[in-house]
Amino acid sequence: MSDIKLVNVTKQYDGQPLPAVDGVTLDIAAGELVVFVGPSGCGKTTTMKMINRLIEPTSGRILLGGTDVMSIEPNELRRHIGYVIQQIGLFPHMTISENIQLVPGLLGWDKTRSRRRADELLELVGLDPVAYRDRYPRQLSGGQQQRVGVARALAADPPVMLMDEPFGATDPITRERLQNEFLRLQAELRKTIVFVTHDFDEAVKLGDRIAVLEERSRIAQYDTPERILATPADDYVASFAGSATAIKRLALIPAERLPGKPLNVANGLPTLDKGGSARDVLDLMIRWGTAQVAVDGGKAVDFETICGLLGDDHGR
Amino acid sequence: MDFSRYLERRWDDLLEQAAQHAAVVALSVLLATAIGVLVGVLTWRSARASGVAISVSAALLTIPSLALLALLIPLLGLGWAPTIVALVVYSLLPIIRNTVTGLRSVDLAVLESARGMGLTGRQTVWRVQLPLAWPIILTGVRVSTQMLFAIATIAAYVAGPGLGNEILSGLAGLGSANALNKAIAGTAGVVLLALAFDFAFVGLRRVTTPRGLRV
Ligand SMILES: Nc1ncnc2c1ncn2[C@@H]1O[C@H](COP(=O)(O)OP(=O)(O)OP(=O)(O)O)[C@@H](O)[C@H]1O
Ligand SMILES: [Mg+2]
Repeated sequence: MSDIKLVNVTKQYDGQPLPAVDGVTLDIAAGELVVFVGPSGCGKTTTMKMINRLIEPTSGRILLGGTDVMSIEPNELRRHIGYVIQQIGLFPHMTISENIQLVPGLLGWDKTRSRRRADELLELVGLDPVAYRDRYPRQLSGGQQQRVGVARALAADPPVMLMDEPFGATDPITRERLQNEFLRLQAELRKTIVFVTHDFDEAVKLGDRIAVLEERSRIAQYDTPERILATPADDYVASFAGSATAIKRLALIPAERLPGKPLNVANGLPTLDKGGSARDVLDLMIRWGTAQVAVDGGKAVDFETICGLLGDDHGR
Repeated sequence: MDFSRYLERRWDDLLEQAAQHAAVVALSVLLATAIGVLVGVLTWRSARASGVAISVSAALLTIPSLALLALLIPLLGLGWAPTIVALVVYSLLPIIRNTVTGLRSVDLAVLESARGMGLTGRQTVWRVQLPLAWPIILTGVRVSTQMLFAIATIAAYVAGPGLGNEILSGLAGLGSANALNKAIAGTAGVVLLALAFDFAFVGLRRVTTPRGLRV
């Protein structure tokens, strides 16, 4: 299995007074999406890059599916770990399809198979292969390039993905769309993913678990988004989570799971679209000035239900 | 004899000298490109190594061409061999320098993703950096080529090929009937060849630049 274990990992850069990563211990289960979130310079990137040996730890051990990564040849290791960065870094002289086929090629796949794989992945990230496979990176928008970056990282079907602020450089609308598509993808693929961001809301939206990091990558709290919002471990985490945490928690509860009274006809109530959250229900109530909202399957959810949600510990 | 009559009478000889001139330049530039790119690939990572390579090739360029040929004769005799060696030596600087610059100018994000995907250093150089640096390298090759057309006339002193022979025999017979005709014909031939090659480089650049960089 491709779980990741960091055991007391430290990274001390030459000439720096303090280590950039100081004794981090962390378990990431196979198929889990863990987000590293923390302020700029706290060591998120350094911690992540030690997993695929782009940076070598000074001490400590990193285990991938139980094997110490230091015992695996670095290039071999990296070919089996998907890697996505904010600046994307597509190869401008290669077509989109060639970009995606590169790692399969390095792994010795035959041409037909890797070409088919590239088409399949373009489809998966929402780009029509016929229209895009023979284009060059410069002929794509930033958001489209970012999708290709994700497709390229998935090319050889790696069990593990490392993503460093992959959506950081896109505008809020594109970013939200990429996040939604990415969640849909991950629901299907169940990769073990380490996702770095300094946007707490992004962390809440994407993470199965969030590691809130402080200076030197010290873990302030490592828990589910719900629990971090409901019970932050200390003032640091609380300040990082920001205000309106109650509303943020509502965003994690799908509206279709809410209890409601059966409703035959919507009789004038505002109606929530499929896929909305408890937060969207509340939003509709405020917008329409009603205490009830109709949710897709024909039920009416009231204001009291929404308020009651935050009292006890609701899962997703 | 007027110039046009002269040209008419000597046309075949001139054509052959021009062909040889072009051939010796082309051959030298090809060799220099192979050597220069290789030196660039081997040294670009280290500021010191590439600095040494560039300084040495710059120093070579300051050796007077006659002196260099005189030095080469005892080793290589007369004719094509010393000519080509001298021309290769003179064309290295722009090619090495542009190769180093080109390899270094590749976007850091591209290098980071190449490394993160598991390309070895060598694979990154040959499959990513060189194709991206190629337009810059080719500019160096083009500069060298232009330089060599002029320098190659000196080959006549070592009984080498090319239009230098025409110019040299004009200079040697200064005051005689056809001396000026010879000098003009030789010089014009060199200039025209250089222009033709420069024009060809425009096409070569188009054909060899990766398509993704032209879109
Ligand atoms: N190659 C390096 N040499 C020396 N110090 C470094 C190096 N790379 C990073 N650092 C330092 O290590 C610390 C952690 O850097 P890191 O890049 O991991 O931060 P980060 O959390 O990813 O920040 P950001 O959100 O800005 O990307 C910083 O203080 C940084 O200055
Ligand atoms: Mg970073």
